[in-house]
Amino acid sequence: MRHLKKLRLLSSSALLSAGILAMGFSSIAMAGKATVALPSGELGATSYDPIRSSKLNTATSLIYDRLVEQDADQSFHPHLATSWTESPDGMSWTFKLRDGVKFHDGEVFNADTIASWIPDFKDTENAYLVAAIKSVEVIDPLTVKFVMERPEPNLLYNLASTFMGVPGQKSYDSLGKDYGVSTAVGTGPFKLTSFEIGLETVVTRNDDYAWASGLSVNQGAAHLESVTFREIPDQSTAFLELKTGGIDLLLGVPTDFLSILKAEQNVGVITMAGTGISYMPINTTAAPFDDIKVRHATALAINQKSILDSVYKGIGSEANHFLIDTLPAGDVKKELLVSFDSAKANTLLDEAGWAMGDGGVRMKDGKPLQVTLFTKNDSDLKRLTQVVQAQLKDVGMDAVITVFDSSTIRDEYKKNAHQLAVRNYDWNNADILEWFFSGTRVGYPNVSMWTDEKSEMLKDTAMTKSTTSAERVANFKAYHEYILSQHLFAPLYQPAQNIAFNKDTVTVPEKVRGPRFRSQTFVDIDVVK
Amino acid sequence: MTLAILNWLSGFTALRAFSSAMGMIAGGFLILLLLVAFFAPWITPFDVAAQNLANANAAPGWPHIMGTDEFGRDVFSRVVYGARTSLSVSATAIGISVSVGMLLGAAAGYFGGMFERIVMTVVDLTWSFPDILIALIFVAIIGPGLTSTTFAIAIAYLAQFTRLTRAQIVRLKNETFVEATINLGATPAHVVLRHLLPNALAPVIVVGMLAVGDGIVLEATLGFFGLGAQPPTPSWGAMMSSGTAQLFIAPWVIIYPGVAVAITVIAVNLFGDELVRALDIRDRVRS
Repeated sequence: MRHLKKLRLLSSSALLSAGILAMGFSSIAMAGKATVALPSGELGATSYDPIRSSKLNTATSLIYDRLVEQDADQSFHPHLATSWTESPDGMSWTFKLRDGVKFHDGEVFNADTIASWIPDFKDTENAYLVAAIKSVEVIDPLTVKFVMERPEPNLLYNLASTFMGVPGQKSYDSLGKDYGVSTAVGTGPFKLTSFEIGLETVVTRNDDYAWASGLSVNQGAAHLESVTFREIPDQSTAFLELKTGGIDLLLGVPTDFLSILKAEQNVGVITMAGTGISYMPINTTAAPFDDIKVRHATALAINQKSILDSVYKGIGSEANHFLIDTLPAGDVKKELLVSFDSAKANTLLDEAGWAMGDGGVRMKDGKPLQVTLFTKNDSDLKRLTQVVQAQLKDVGMDAVITVFDSSTIRDEYKKNAHQLAVRNYDWNNADILEWFFSGTRVGYPNVSMWTDEKSEMLKDTAMTKSTTSAERVANFKAYHEYILSQHLFAPLYQPAQNIAFNKDTVTVPEKVRGPRFRSQTFVDIDVVK
Repeated sequence: MTLAILNWLSGFTALRAFSSAMGMIAGGFLILLLLVAFFAPWITPFDVAAQNLANANAAPGWPHIMGTDEFGRDVFSRVVYGARTSLSVSATAIGISVSVGMLLGAAAGYFGGMFERIVMTVVDLTWSFPDILIALIFVAIIGPGLTSTTFAIAIAYLAQFTRLTRAQIVRLKNETFVEATINLGATPAHVVLRHLLPNALAPVIVVGMLAVGDGIVLEATLGFFGLGAQPPTPSWGAMMSSGTAQLFIAPWVIIYPGVAVAITVIAVNLFGDELVRALDIRDRVRS
């Protein structure tokens, strides 16, 4: 009897707590609030200071507006700048600014804001964004002119970057280095309410917002009252939270989960083109990779098709060079594309003096072909790394995996302690080549430790000597082709971006505008009524 | 010393642990596990590192009786090899802990004074942190891998054995037979190694046995965090860690190593308890 009573008590309390939980979940979206899990690549941002920070997340795009917005097809559209003109020689740009725009703290946005903001980039990690701008002239309160140091065909791309979200100047200047942690003031559709580093960020609606870009359907204040961005490092936990209603929107769904999510009645899935690739940098200074033949063989040992089909179930696309497919500088000579050729890889290794030994590992001068393969502690990267390890084994290279956390691995690169690594990047511009292969960034981010005179020359031409867009594309193509010819990395995979949402709680526009799922789309998200 | 252990074993009192049903089952399982770990290459039907992506996440059946993981590797073979990793890391680590801890504890207990105070302060300091924290700090400093995991576990459990041995030595030091030996002119080394340590051995070995169970859990935990065995070396913790990502697709990847850890640890603890009873040293195993 006593047992029964106990059981009943237990079950009723379980029911009660389940009820409370359910109420909690459904109330999330009912009150106009949505909870979003950030994609794994955006975890760990330490600040919402777009000028000084080297890592920003999606929430940043909601707090700040940009002068220019980029669409998924890489075209540019007006936002805080309503129009712009470039002088024929590329030496000046004139921007007309939107009237009536106010920052979250009441400060008015005008030409003075821009004149005070651009110089703030000086001596920061993001200084390259404005490096071509010599000075900013205020023509009238709503017109500014950028006087250029040199023509910069990439200016609009830079202005559309999250790092060029415009911060409130009063707040930025008065807070100094503290800006971005407890306070972040922009003109965006949401205001920063709270930020716990590594855990969650809460933003609430900016009711005065009436200056959305043309990429959004909703031109007024956002439909959602507030958005909570959570940082969930474990992908299966995030997935489970979406299933049980703990989160409404999951940015960056791992491909493994797509089939399960698609089978769920209440889950909607959006797949968009990716904005980065996974690749394996090869340390050109560490033997045996100082031998170009070994590097070439290593790159040819990677079976991109097998990775796409087996690891990613055919979602995304093969990567055969360093850039994403939508960039014209990726349209390189066919013979430079990297794709699996194990026969050639084996021949090259034979030529380099690495003869196949016992146990399937190649030998040279009595030493086995054993190399280190580093990766970050991330379930997707770890899995990819193990597949790469097995593929290298097939040509007789014994790669020993070491898994590091994200800060330690950078130190290891800087110490030149690595040989091979599996990494990924997220950037939809050809200037990523400069970031990862420039002689001025050896160690990190130039994990290939690549320094070469011709490469530097081609890089400088591509980065600073192009006057028109077409010329810039051609210059980056030349730089890209040279990088490919030196076998500094092996491309692995080009992921797609997958976004999943709870259909019972939120509605998401069918067509996502912008290269990523960001501010332009967030103002159109509504709760299910 | 060897002679003393043989003497101690010759009483066969330890074997009495097998006399109860529980002791028999637990002990039998442990012996079986040791055999499995030792003969792993002959037992496993597949290469533990061989990937077959076309057959990834296959459900348990034939020929993969425990299914395959995300790389199409045989889970059964990996669980068997995982036993090797878990047992060898844990046993080596606890072996180091026991040897170093006994020497430190015996020296501290016998000599006393300043030396004892310094040793015991340091030991108590590490004792005040949870084992997992000490192990994590250590691995974080010297980097992940099996060797560092072994040392991390050894350091995490060092305090336990130092304290235990010291307590035994302090108790024994004042016994008449020790005083007699000292009065007969024996050197400190002789007294400690021939008379004190052999008498302090039984409880230390039993606690060591129980610690092996904890060591397996700690090894699995470090492996789960990606700090233990590096891929493709199979370890139960690392298998469970990669299994979490496959929980909804291939639950067997996490279930089998999880069950293996659970059963092994339960068996170690049950057998340890039986050993305590058989040797009748319940009041001496507390440090």
